[in-house]
Amino acid sequence: MIESPELRVGAREKLVARDVNIYYGSFQAIKRANLTIHENTVHALIGPSGCGKSTFLRALDRMHDLTPGARVEGEVLLDGANIYAPGADPVVIRHRIGMVFQRPNPFPKTIFENVVYGPKIHGERNHTKLQEICERSLRQAALWDEVKDRLNRSALDLSGGQQQRLCIARVLAVEPEVILMDEPASALDPIATSKIEDLIGELKEHYTVVIVTHSMQQAARISEFTAFFHLGEIVEVGTTNDIFTRPKEKRTEDYITGRFG
Amino acid sequence: MAVVATTTVSEPRIVADAGVRRRRFVDGLATVILWGLGASVILMLAAFVIYLFYLGASAISWQFLTGSPEETTAGGGIGPEIYNSFYILILTLIFTVPIALAAGVYLQEYAKPGMFRTIVQFSAESLATVPSIVMGLFGLLVFVYYFHWGFSALGGAVTLTLLNLPALMRVTQEALSSVPDSLREASMGLGATRWQTIYRTVIPSAIGRMTTGIVLIAGRIFGETAALIFTAGLSVSANHPYELNPMRSAETLAIHLWYTHSESIVPDVDRIGNGSALVLLVMVLIFNVSARVAGRALTKRFTGRSS
Amino acid sequence: MIAVQAKRSHTIERIAVWVLRAAATFVIVAIAALLIYLCFEGSKTFTVDHLPIWQFLFTSDFDPTANKGGAAIFIVGTIVVTLFALCIGGPFGIAVGAFLSEIAPPRMAGILKPAIEVLVGIPSVVYGWLGLRLLVPFLREHTSSASGFGLAAAGIVLSIMILPTVISLSEDAFRSLPGALREGSMALGSTRWQTIVRVLLPSASSGLSVALILGMARAIGETLAVQMVLGNATQFANGLFAPTAALTTEIVIDMPGATQGSFLEHELFSMALFLLLMAMALILLVRFVLRKRV
Repeated sequence: MIESPELRVGAREKLVARDVNIYYGSFQAIKRANLTIHENTVHALIGPSGCGKSTFLRALDRMHDLTPGARVEGEVLLDGANIYAPGADPVVIRHRIGMVFQRPNPFPKTIFENVVYGPKIHGERNHTKLQEICERSLRQAALWDEVKDRLNRSALDLSGGQQQRLCIARVLAVEPEVILMDEPASALDPIATSKIEDLIGELKEHYTVVIVTHSMQQAARISEFTAFFHLGEIVEVGTTNDIFTRPKEKRTEDYITGRFG
Repeated sequence: MAVVATTTVSEPRIVADAGVRRRRFVDGLATVILWGLGASVILMLAAFVIYLFYLGASAISWQFLTGSPEETTAGGGIGPEIYNSFYILILTLIFTVPIALAAGVYLQEYAKPGMFRTIVQFSAESLATVPSIVMGLFGLLVFVYYFHWGFSALGGAVTLTLLNLPALMRVTQEALSSVPDSLREASMGLGATRWQTIYRTVIPSAIGRMTTGIVLIAGRIFGETAALIFTAGLSVSANHPYELNPMRSAETLAIHLWYTHSESIVPDVDRIGNGSALVLLVMVLIFNVSARVAGRALTKRFTGRSS
Repeated sequence: MIAVQAKRSHTIERIAVWVLRAAATFVIVAIAALLIYLCFEGSKTFTVDHLPIWQFLFTSDFDPTANKGGAAIFIVGTIVVTLFALCIGGPFGIAVGAFLSEIAPPRMAGILKPAIEVLVGIPSVVYGWLGLRLLVPFLREHTSSASGFGLAAAGIVLSIMILPTVISLSEDAFRSLPGALREGSMALGSTRWQTIVRVLLPSASSGLSVALILGMARAIGETLAVQMVLGNATQFANGLFAPTAALTTEIVIDMPGATQGSFLEHELFSMALFLLLMAMALILLVRFVLRKRV
């Protein structure tokens, strides 16, 4: 087990994974994963394709509940409370932990309806409040200026990069505490990618971000901590700087230097 | 919003607030209702089957199944009607299967995108929208009036052919499209012509699904009424109830059931109706089960796989 | 030897293609003939008997012996019975379609789907017979209906008959939605029901519309089952349980007794033509809906 260092004195442990095993049927995709993620940091999960980083990420907001045949063992503590405890409600958890997916998946509704979907299902009905939330979220996602005149147009008319920022705005609208991102820029062009990366840098002020990325350069650019996954195990965890300049494990070093993956 | 509650054991828990609890309740209620609706479909079918058996079982006897119908007295049977149902079924299939198969194969394997292909597809779709009674009237116009055949099994069979052509074409096309292109490429690559490829490779692979489709459509033909009332007629010949001549009036079992209900003056209408309905139901069930069994067996035989 | 064999298989190929193309052409001929004959015979009411079209469509004075051919009762009857069936069978069918796509575990689907296939196979007469034996007495006993025959009986029977169509098309519509939609919704903290109602239902709207329209098309052409329980009274339905008549039921009742060339016979063919046009209009509507969604 590798402990992750504290960045600032007193920075809280926001999300802690303890002895997490994940099975698809009889196949074990994640073996005894332990990871601590601190509040208001950006934590990157890297590794070659198929190593389980997305699988691990999805376990953090109980998305595996939606997959028949998937089984998660172990504990994931959000502010000390186990999200896999028998009475824990996934609806609540997903309110506090939001997820942005690899491919933008806006609903076939207007831009406005997409953004306020989350608050609406949680019971918000006041139209003025919803409009405020919409503007705030779109501003935070750096999309407001581009769409403020066409909030009532279909979200599907936006470009790929805009759609992904819309999905981020959608998540921000429910005011989560943690944002999980599963390779959010991998389907986008470089300009859109850099916009998203800038956005992530701003988000960490108010949120905790965990991001899966297959690009080491991206991890190096935007994250403070990095965990390296290989064949379903967390091989090494540390500050991004340490991982990339002074990796302790040979496998980590091989991956960093491009010997595989 | 969520609340993190702490118990005296200082173990924080994630607890749902009132809003979430209410949504959970609605979700649970909706799930129960949808399960209920799904189950009610199954129960409805069970109820129908049981009730038809309950009503009709007492009517079934060897005499009933083979005897001839009576016009005015009790004790009539449905023998000739069952015979006619099968007769018309077989006759219809003799026409429908080759034409639908050929047209389906042509559309799926040969036709290049263009005017002709579009018109044929459009024609088939249009044919499919014709209500069965309208088709029956068309048959009346052509075979009874124009050709002066009067009521005839042949006229009924051709009318039913037109009615079921689109469905069988669709079955053929879907079965053919389920055969992967790699099979065709392998065959043509060995020097076979297009037709040889289809005949020797594609059709055998697709034959299981096609058979299932054909048998299911046969079940529908067996129960067809509206299109036959004006073409095949409402009566059986009293002297020659079981004959091979296609140019005579041929009342099928399904029509007999309707006729019994609406026109018949025999005193045991209920008994005959119940018995006929039961026989029709049993035939449908048989067709349904056979369709699957035959389809699976044929696929196995011709391709060696189970699907 | 090979050169000769190649030529033979080539000839077979040419013959085969010719035969196949002939079969395809037959389909075109069939529908063309049908349309021509039906239009010809169906227009005789207006050309030979000189009945104005507006009278046919909008008046309810139906007395063929006196050359009165207002078919409004039957047209309205068809429309009302169809709508009745759609109001019951539509929501019911879409709900079960959603159930099959989103909720039902494989074992339940393995029982439900074959059950639906059997329901499709039951002949129209048998549904009519069940309606006669089960539904009509029930309505007679428990509602204000005097005889049990009427709009409600026909509407209920018809709704059961269109269920399989609506269910399977709705299920297809839901299934064809990408999984990313469900994930996105659940990840924002919604319950499954909220996802179905707020995201899936609106997203599948064009597919569901097609399901309803095709259910309607099935309903307007249905003859026997409706005729056996509708009551066949040449009057507008003045209540939910009142007997009335529809285009299909009128045709099937009066045609056997109509002499060739008579006013009645022409009238009935006009009704058949109208029915066909209604069915085709619905199918065109389906194409329009499907094209618009892109």
